[in-house]
Amino acid sequence: MPLNEPISRRQMLFRLGGLAAASPLSALLQTAWAGSPNMLVDASGPETNCDIGRLTEKLIAAAGGMGRYVAKGDVVVIKPNVSWARAPQYGATTHPEVVRAVVRMCFDAGAKTVRIADHTIHDARQCFIVTGIGQIARETGAELVFPASSLMREMNLHGHRLDMWPVFTPIVEADKRINIPVAKVHSISRLTLGMKNWIGGVGGRRNALHQDIHQSITDLAHFFKPDLTIIDATRIMIENGPSGGNLSDVLIKNRLILSDDPVAADAYAASQLFQIVPQEIGYIRLAEKWGMGTTDLTRLTLQKVTL
Amino acid sequence: MNLRTLIVLRRLSQTAFVLLFLVLFVQARLSSDTMVDYSLTLENAQPFTIRSPVDFFFRIDPLLRLTTLLAGKLWLAGIGWAIGLMAMTAILGRVFCGFICPFGTIHHAASLGIRSNCDAAIPPRSRLIKYAFLAAILVSGILGLELAGILDPLCLLFRSLALSIFPGIGLMLKSAFDAMAASDIKWINLASYAAEMIISPIFGYGYPAYQTGGLIGLLFLALVWLNRFSPRFWCRVLCPLGALLGLIGRYTRLVLLTDEARCNACGLCQSRCPSAARSGKTPASWNPSECLYCLTCMNVCPQEAISLRVAQAGAPPKFAPTRRAMLSGMVAGLFLPAVGRVDGRLFAASDPALIRPPGSLDEIDFLAVCARCGLCMKVCPTNAINPAWGEAGLAGFWTPVIIPKQGYCELSCTLCSQLCPTGAIRPITPEEKKTKPIRIGSASIDRGRCLPWSGNGPCIVCEEVCPTSPKAIVFDTVDTTGADGEPLKLKLPKIRLQHCVGCGICENKCPISGSAAVHVIAAGETRNPRHGLLL
Repeated sequence: MPLNEPISRRQMLFRLGGLAAASPLSALLQTAWAGSPNMLVDASGPETNCDIGRLTEKLIAAAGGMGRYVAKGDVVVIKPNVSWARAPQYGATTHPEVVRAVVRMCFDAGAKTVRIADHTIHDARQCFIVTGIGQIARETGAELVFPASSLMREMNLHGHRLDMWPVFTPIVEADKRINIPVAKVHSISRLTLGMKNWIGGVGGRRNALHQDIHQSITDLAHFFKPDLTIIDATRIMIENGPSGGNLSDVLIKNRLILSDDPVAADAYAASQLFQIVPQEIGYIRLAEKWGMGTTDLTRLTLQKVTL
Repeated sequence: MNLRTLIVLRRLSQTAFVLLFLVLFVQARLSSDTMVDYSLTLENAQPFTIRSPVDFFFRIDPLLRLTTLLAGKLWLAGIGWAIGLMAMTAILGRVFCGFICPFGTIHHAASLGIRSNCDAAIPPRSRLIKYAFLAAILVSGILGLELAGILDPLCLLFRSLALSIFPGIGLMLKSAFDAMAASDIKWINLASYAAEMIISPIFGYGYPAYQTGGLIGLLFLALVWLNRFSPRFWCRVLCPLGALLGLIGRYTRLVLLTDEARCNACGLCQSRCPSAARSGKTPASWNPSECLYCLTCMNVCPQEAISLRVAQAGAPPKFAPTRRAMLSGMVAGLFLPAVGRVDGRLFAASDPALIRPPGSLDEIDFLAVCARCGLCMKVCPTNAINPAWGEAGLAGFWTPVIIPKQGYCELSCTLCSQLCPTGAIRPITPEEKKTKPIRIGSASIDRGRCLPWSGNGPCIVCEEVCPTSPKAIVFDTVDTTGADGEPLKLKLPKIRLQHCVGCGICENKCPISGSAAVHVIAAGETRNPRHGLLL
């Protein structure tokens, strides 16, 4: 139909009617496309003899199962926090049983490859041995990726503070990213939760990031954008963070927090675990400002499950 | 046994022992596939161990054993091997040199194709030098300075390969990997990672570098090059272990017998013998203390007159070293410990950079047993332990020191102390290291360079990485003005000396490159109570 020909009133009405009929449909489609509002799951286990693997399964089940996040044939990268060569009980690193359960569920959901990658602070070999992450990788069949220099590549982070920076490529080159940090206190950023864990995703002069820690964390979190954040609060470090080294620095909580909104996960963990108002933490405030998520927990569906 | 069989046997044995040496050499590392059941670490089990006997060649070394014993330290682990080797030498002569010694094999290989007249290239008397070295090493060992490791062939080979040759090759390979990693083609990137993962267990994780590594490598290459000048120069002239074995093997029953009826005194055996074991053209001139059992004389004899026989030796051979060689060596052995210590500040202040690995004995005892073999330096996973340059004085040259800027001492790691072959670093446990604690030095802050102290902005990396609990680095949060006069809220670091163990991770991770703003020095080390800082 030539566009320069006039159309009749009847045709006009007909078309407008069609448009009117289509609009609710498109709204409906949009809702289905975007999925439900972001979710937040808080799983807690018994104080003693908590089976952390089962707690993790319960957490993921409440979030709709791993199949919701991981598709068949996906390459999944898991970013735990194994910065320090410390045994799991010191709470300085992600609990190996959480990682084990997540790897297994990723494989069950049909993932082709599951990689565990972290650019550690202590020597990577020692970290992977002592934290138990190396053992988990071997037992589950996940690939353990060492922070080798051949895997660091200059990329533009397009951050407000950070632009060209060496990035640990396996964390970028994956279909799905699952961030599994451990909840700890930290001297300069106050808390290390999900977003701060991305410092382990880059190389280069990381020791200079402290000079503008909150903006750096926000830039990194914006660049890496996890599909899922699972905050390990099976035990939390309340003193001497982030390296700890003493059992008296650690509180057993047997809790896990999951969200597909990285800002909400951190905000909830800050307020629930450490009783800190999320907006008081620079990187949470900045991340919300740059539109990476929300600290308004009423805008998420919160589920609490117990083991 | 005929000549061919013997030569095949020798080659097989040499190859096998070089391979064994290399396998154990490569195993002397914290492997990336080391796994421990993490539930065991919950019970504080030893996390890092190397199960292969990577110190095997040091254990069988009689020279190292003897000097350690002279220093008053009975080192029992694996003593059976050393005794066995000495017994074998007493019966069979220096077959160790010809059939086993990996350094000897390298010299043998490097000598291939050289047909020089050995005696013309270097005077036969030069073989006495090694006895002088041996005498110097033994006397200085009694006086409390272990020098054996500098010239002991097994230590020298291990040190050269570990601190220079292998890391050097690794660095060359790194440039290739970097080029591959920078490629835009995906599979080349992946190949680069795969290659790095295969290569780094052999050439070192994280491309280690060692102070004086160039010197160590040049010395090694020079020694190997000398073979082109005169075959097996090292074994003939310099090797103190060969001298010791020669003395033990004087009355060997394994004799190179010359059939006098066949010998026409052509002199080929004498001129080709790499070790000057034949002092003349006549059959009776064979010297068992010098013979390496390399079988060259048998091989070159046109008359096929020489054969290897188990036989009763004739008249006891003349004592190999001359009195003059022994005396000059002994005088050197008397003087070296004295002059070596003069610049080592043993009783005055210790050198601030003389940070010894945790578990090291007090300096005087340390110098008496440390063989400078380089095993601790090779196994250190963070490349913290380096051969000393001037930190320990002349006597402590190439002994292990920690350079924090290069690597830190991991609190849960005790690899160096587990593997030290002579006990210069005594065995310690991670628990002892953490709780006692074993201090190797102490940190101090250079306020002029420190970012917060100098008003150049926030930092506090040192506090973050401090591994002790409670932390040895704490901070005060203060409102101050920056270097440009703007108001700043800064966290200023402070050292709590009573908690500092001197591990050096603060200096290692300090963002102030060049010379860090937090600096670790040896003061405060627990191995010497006089170096304490606090009351």
